[in-house]
Amino acid sequence: MHPRIATLIAFCDAEAGASRSRRIASHLAKCEKCRNRLGRIERERDELSARAAAPASDVRPGLAAVLAAITAWQEGRNGAAASELRARLRWQMGTYFGSPAALAVEGPGIPAEEMFGKASEMLEVFLGPEAAEALRDDVFRGLDWAEPAGEICR
Amino acid sequence: MTRKSSLDGIESAPRWIVVFLGAYLIVHLLALYLWNMVGQAFPVQGTSGGTSALSVTAMAAVELWLCVLVLRSFPAGAPLRRAWMLITFAAAAQAVSGGLAQLLGSNWLLNPLMWGGHARTGLIEQIRRGALIAGGPVQLALLAAGMLAALRVLRKFGFWVRPSAADWAVCGIIYVLTLFRFGEAGAASLAGRPIGVEDWISLAGLPVLCVLFLEAMLLRQSVVHMGNGLISRCWVAFMCGIFLMGAGELALWVIPHYWHAWPLDMIASLIRFPTAAVFALAPACQVAAQRRAIKPASDGSEDLATGVPALAR
Repeated sequence: MHPRIATLIAFCDAEAGASRSRRIASHLAKCEKCRNRLGRIERERDELSARAAAPASDVRPGLAAVLAAITAWQEGRNGAAASELRARLRWQMGTYFGSPAALAVEGPGIPAEEMFGKASEMLEVFLGPEAAEALRDDVFRGLDWAEPAGEICR
Repeated sequence: MTRKSSLDGIESAPRWIVVFLGAYLIVHLLALYLWNMVGQAFPVQGTSGGTSALSVTAMAAVELWLCVLVLRSFPAGAPLRRAWMLITFAAAAQAVSGGLAQLLGSNWLLNPLMWGGHARTGLIEQIRRGALIAGGPVQLALLAAGMLAALRVLRKFGFWVRPSAADWAVCGIIYVLTLFRFGEAGAASLAGRPIGVEDWISLAGLPVLCVLFLEAMLLRQSVVHMGNGLISRCWVAFMCGIFLMGAGELALWVIPHYWHAWPLDMIASLIRFPTAAVFALAPACQVAAQRRAIKPASDGSEDLATGVPALAR
């Protein structure tokens, strides 16, 4: 007589008991059909175990991919905004100080934020805080500027 | 945007000053031309005794008002506040000097010191001398201190270059003039000729003028490295004012030595008013730059939201 599926599952999980397990083992040694059924049960169990473990390891790369995509999107958007910000700062510095001063503030490889900081300080010193504040407002007006993704997530 | 300038007209102050200066020069040069054409038949009026003319005093008052406006825009602790405070004091010294000299230091009917039957000539003379000191060495010293403070700020931002050989050569002219003037005074003193108080006051201002000239040359180099912006124009005006002041001193010393027939008072007023106007132009340019920054972008033809002015696009 072949053992039932539930009995094979219990044997597979080592929950069938000692005497029962011995009987099943002697049967399995003689019956190829039951060996195949046991093999299928073990494979299914392993797959289930693997699936159960999967969310913990798969979600992280998924979230990282989503964040990377958001960052890339924002960088693309900020890249255009940074370019516009540079143009506006260059114009402000050129208007209020002159082209050499604008070139000195811009410098090679200086990020837009640093350029803004330098220009802002100079305008505040030479024009006074009220005028500098007004120019700061002007330079950001209508600009599509976003914080980096990491800053948003913090 | 709710920002709105309450003094819209003040932005055009530099233009008004230039217009007044142009008109003044045209009228004076025309008068000089006519005077020369008719064979110098009539006397040309001018101020005497080195006191400032009414027009110069009025321009100094305008400068003072504009300086006060600029000073108010820099709160306590602002790097340029000290510089503007000293420049304002210098403008005040010039305006007060001119006012005192015109109102109380002259022998005219509206001078209260002349009323009551007997003129208090001693007091009038003292006031006039005080006015000369305030408008001379005191004003120059305050201006020199103000320029020094401004140069320190310019240096902090990298707008600092050592004077070139040409700068030293220009300064040298004033240094030589100073030496000649002191030499003349010394020779006159040794020869027993009396030197007037006005001359002594003028001599006292010359060493300060030498310092100012060097500062003006440093300012010139700084402005060259800054560019031709609205703020730069303010410092260019100061530099030109100092240069005109020196050129005026030189002209007023050279002309009596070589051209005796020239109307010195007229020439003096021709030099002093442009100098005062150029000095007034400096705070006017600063105020204009500040007002332009504060004015909402939508008011003007320039659209800052698009980064560059409409005409430049």
